[in-house]
Amino acid sequence: MSDFELEMVVNGKSIRRRAKPHLRLLDFIRDELNLTGAKEGCGAGECGTCSVFVDGKLVKSCLMPVAKAQGAKVETIEGLTPHGNELTPVQKAFHKTGASQCGYCIPGMVMAATSALRENPGAGIEEIKERLGGNICRCTGYTKIFEAVEIARDVISGKLSIAALEPDGAGKSYIGNNVRRLDAPSKVSGRLRYAGDMVMPGMLHMQVLRSPHAHALIRSIDTSEAESLPGVACVITADDVPGEDGFGVFVHDQPIMARGRVRYVGEAVAAVTADDVITAARAVSLIKVEYEPVAAVFDAEEAMQNGAPVVHDYAPDNVVKHIPIRKGDIEQGFAEADLVVEQTYDTQAVEHAYLEPEAGIAYVDHDDVVTVVSPSQNITHHRHMLAKIIDKPINKVRFIMSPVGGGFGGKEDMIYQGMLALAAMKTGAPVRLVYTREESIISTAKRHPARITYKMGLRNDGRITAVSFRMICDGGAYGLSTEGVMRKAAILSCGPYNIPNVEIDVYGIYTHNTPSGAFRTFGAMQSQFATESHMDICAEKLGLDPFEIRRINMMQDGAVTHTQQVLGSVSMGRVLDAAEKACRWDSGPVGMRGQERNDLGGEGTRPPCTLGARIRKTGDDDHQEVA
Amino acid sequence: MLTCDEYHMPTTLAEALALLQAVPHGSRLVAGATDILPWAREGRAGDVNLPAMIDLSRIEELQGYEVAGGRVRLGANVVYQQFLTDKALRRHLPGMPYCSIWFADDQIREQATLAGNLVNASPAADGTPPMLAHNAELEIARLEGSDIKRRTISLADFVKGPGKTDLGPHEIVTAVICDSLDGYGGSFQKVGQRRSLVISSVCAAACIKMDKTGEVVEDIRLALGGVGPVPMRLDDIEKMLRGKQLTAELIARASAKPAERVASRTRRQYRRTVVKGFIEAAIHEALEDCGARVPGSAEREDAHV
Repeated sequence: MSDFELEMVVNGKSIRRRAKPHLRLLDFIRDELNLTGAKEGCGAGECGTCSVFVDGKLVKSCLMPVAKAQGAKVETIEGLTPHGNELTPVQKAFHKTGASQCGYCIPGMVMAATSALRENPGAGIEEIKERLGGNICRCTGYTKIFEAVEIARDVISGKLSIAALEPDGAGKSYIGNNVRRLDAPSKVSGRLRYAGDMVMPGMLHMQVLRSPHAHALIRSIDTSEAESLPGVACVITADDVPGEDGFGVFVHDQPIMARGRVRYVGEAVAAVTADDVITAARAVSLIKVEYEPVAAVFDAEEAMQNGAPVVHDYAPDNVVKHIPIRKGDIEQGFAEADLVVEQTYDTQAVEHAYLEPEAGIAYVDHDDVVTVVSPSQNITHHRHMLAKIIDKPINKVRFIMSPVGGGFGGKEDMIYQGMLALAAMKTGAPVRLVYTREESIISTAKRHPARITYKMGLRNDGRITAVSFRMICDGGAYGLSTEGVMRKAAILSCGPYNIPNVEIDVYGIYTHNTPSGAFRTFGAMQSQFATESHMDICAEKLGLDPFEIRRINMMQDGAVTHTQQVLGSVSMGRVLDAAEKACRWDSGPVGMRGQERNDLGGEGTRPPCTLGARIRKTGDDDHQEVA
Repeated sequence: MLTCDEYHMPTTLAEALALLQAVPHGSRLVAGATDILPWAREGRAGDVNLPAMIDLSRIEELQGYEVAGGRVRLGANVVYQQFLTDKALRRHLPGMPYCSIWFADDQIREQATLAGNLVNASPAADGTPPMLAHNAELEIARLEGSDIKRRTISLADFVKGPGKTDLGPHEIVTAVICDSLDGYGGSFQKVGQRRSLVISSVCAAACIKMDKTGEVVEDIRLALGGVGPVPMRLDDIEKMLRGKQLTAELIARASAKPAERVASRTRRQYRRTVVKGFIEAAIHEALEDCGARVPGSAEREDAHV
C-alpha cells in the first residue's frame, strides 16, 4: 500500500505527513495529529461526535477519506480555543447551562452549534434544532444544549450582554441553586481525554475474536497462524488465565474469554495484540476455532422447563435468582375483591447506547502493578475480581477510572478489562482496546427483557385488595447484575400503593441470549410499566379517573412497604397533584370524556417534529450562494 | 473497516476514465464517500479491502451547474447542501430543498452528491422521486480509445432494481440533467424512524403548477419511493389531476390510488396505509409552496380541532 503525501492546514498550522490512503480524516487527526477532541461514537456517520470543519463546512470526519482533505483548511474543536485562549461564547454558554454531562457528544455538539451560528447568526430555535440534527446525545438531553445555543447566539449578536455567560450568583445552599459543573470546560473544549483518546509510548492494539454461535462447545483453538503474522505481539485465550477465572457483580460465572464453551453470540473467544488495529484485525481472522454447536435456549420461560438446555452446570434449573415476597393472605385478598384483572406485559431488551464505546488501556508499571485504565463504573469490585483472576495480591492490581462517556449501568461489568490485563502481562507493553459501536452492541449487557403476569383484585370503590405479580426476566448467558436487578424489581414491583395482600415472584433466568445487566432504574422500569399500565386498565374497568384510582391506593406518610420498610414521608399525593395540574388533565374516567379532549397541545407541550425552518422563511437573503 | 491499496484523485474526466479502465476489478468510484464507509463495517460488508478507489470530487468539469433551455445540468459533484443554500437552484428545482432537508443531516449533505445517491440505486433513495418528477436524465461518459463518448439515459430507465443500474463497468455519471420547474411549488414527504439521518421507509415528491386562476392544475409531477424495487413516477394520478379544477374530493380520490402499487417485500400493509395520506400531504404542501389555495383546508381544520 503506497502512502499518500498529505498537506493541509489544521487549526491554522501547516501539516505535512505521509499517511495511508485508507485513513479516514478522523483517524488522521486523532492518531497522527493527536487531536482527540473529535470522537468516534459510531464510525458510521450517525452520531456527529467526529464533526470538524473542512474548508469552512462542517463534515463528519468518520465519513471522509483523509485524501479529500488534501490541501484543505481543517478546523477541529481544539482550533476553536487555541492554547491559552478563552472559551468561545458557544462553549461558555454550554458551560453556563450545564450542557455537558458525560461530555462525550459535547465537542461534536459545540462544533455543530458553532457551524449553525456561522451559517446563520440569527437562526431561530427550530433551525438550531435542525442544524444539530446530525448529532446524538444520550445523557445531557437536548434542552440544555439548545438553550446554550440560543444564549450564545444572542451574546454574539449583542442582544444579550456578555454577563449572560457568567455564573449565576452563588446561593447559600447547593440545593435549589444553579451549580456550575467543574468539569465542563474540559468537555466543551474537547480537552478531556477518555480511555480511547489516551496513548502511551510503545502502545499495542487489541482486537477480539467473538463467537458466531449462541451455544457451542469449543473443540480447539489454533492461534499459530495469527501469532506468526508480522506485527502480532500475542494472542490470548482462556488458557492464559493464571488464576481463578470468573467475574460478575453477584455470581462470578463469566470467564474473561470463553472457556470450553460459548454461551452467546458475540462472546469473546480470543484476543490479538498487535502493532496496529488493522494487523490485529487480520490476525483475528486467522484464528481457527473448531466449534460443536449444541442446543440453545432463547426464551426465559422455556429455559425454566424441565429438560431445557442448561446454560451453567452450577444452575441446572437455569435460575440465576428467584426473589419471592409474601405479605398478608393472597387468597383471602382475592376473595374480598369485586373485580379481578389479569394481564401479561412484555418488555424487550434495550441497549444503553452510551456515546462512548467501551475502551481501555492496560499496562504493567515499574513496580509490577497490573494497571487498567477504563471507564469502569465499579472499579473497586473489578480490582478485587481481577486480582483473583490473574492470581496477584491486591496491592499489585490497580484500576484507574477514566472519564465515563455515558454508562447508564452498562459499564458496571468487567467485560474486557481482564483481556487487557492479560495482554499487558504477556507482552510487557501498554495495550489499548477500543470497541467499535457494532462490537459494543453485540457483546455488552442489555436491559432485562421481562414478562410480567399481573393479577390484581379490587373492590368496586377502587381499593386494591390483592396483587399477584410474577415476573420472568431473561438474564442472558451470564449473571452480571441480574441478582440485584431482580431484587429491585421485586421490591418496587407493586409501585407506591398500599396493598394488603401480596404475592411476588421475580425470576432472573439464564438463556443463550446476550447477557442482561444493570440499566437505569435497575428492574423497576419493567415492573412499573406493568403496574402503571395495569392501574389504567383497572381504572377503566371500574369507571374511575386514572388519577383517582391512584389516590385511593397511594402510600401516605407512615406507610409500610410490602418489604416492611416504614416510610416517614411520602410525596406521592403531591406528585399526582402536580402532574395532574401540569398536564391540564381532563378529569373523568377514560371513555367518558366525550369526543374531544381539552388537554392536548397548549403551553408546555411539544409540537410534532418538523423540518425546513430555514427554507420556510420568505426572505432568502441571509443565505449566501455556495461558491 | 474500509481499506484500499490505491487512492486516486484525478482532476480531469479523461484521467478518471483512463484510471477506471486501468485499475483492477473490484475497484470503486467514490464521490462523497458517505455511503461506502458505513457499508464496509460489521453487519454489512464487514472489513473490505479495495484494490483502488477513484475519488471524483476533484474533477473540475463535474462541479457546478448550468441552466439552459428549460433544463438544469447538475454536475455530478453537486452536493445535497447546495439545493438548500443556492438560491437559483432552489428556484429551478422547487422540490429539492424539501428533499434535501430530509436527507441525512447538515454535515453529510456537504459531502454527499445527488449523482452518487442516484447511482447507488436504493429503492428508498431520497433523491430519486424528486428527480423522476423533474424528468431527469443521467449523462454518462466512457472512453473509446482516447475519445470521451457520452450518452444520456432517463433516470427511470437507468435504475434497474435495488442497487442495480444501467451503468457499465468503465462508465462514469458526469451530470444529472433535469427540467427546470421554475414557478412550481415543491414538496417532499418521508417516513423513517427518526427525523435526521434516516433512510426512508416511504418517500414521495410532488411539484405542482396552478394556472392563473389558482384553481386549475396546469401541471403536476408525482413520484414515490420505498414502495417497490425501484422508485416510480405516478403518471396515472398526474393524468387524473392535470387540467382539472382541484377539489378536496379529487385529491382524496387520486391519493388513494398508489396504494395498489405498493410491492415492497416487507411491511406492505403499513406502506399501503402510509402512502395514501402521503400523496395527499405532498400535494397540499406543494400547493402551499407555490402560494395556491389548498382545497378543503378550512373543512380539514374543523375536523381536526
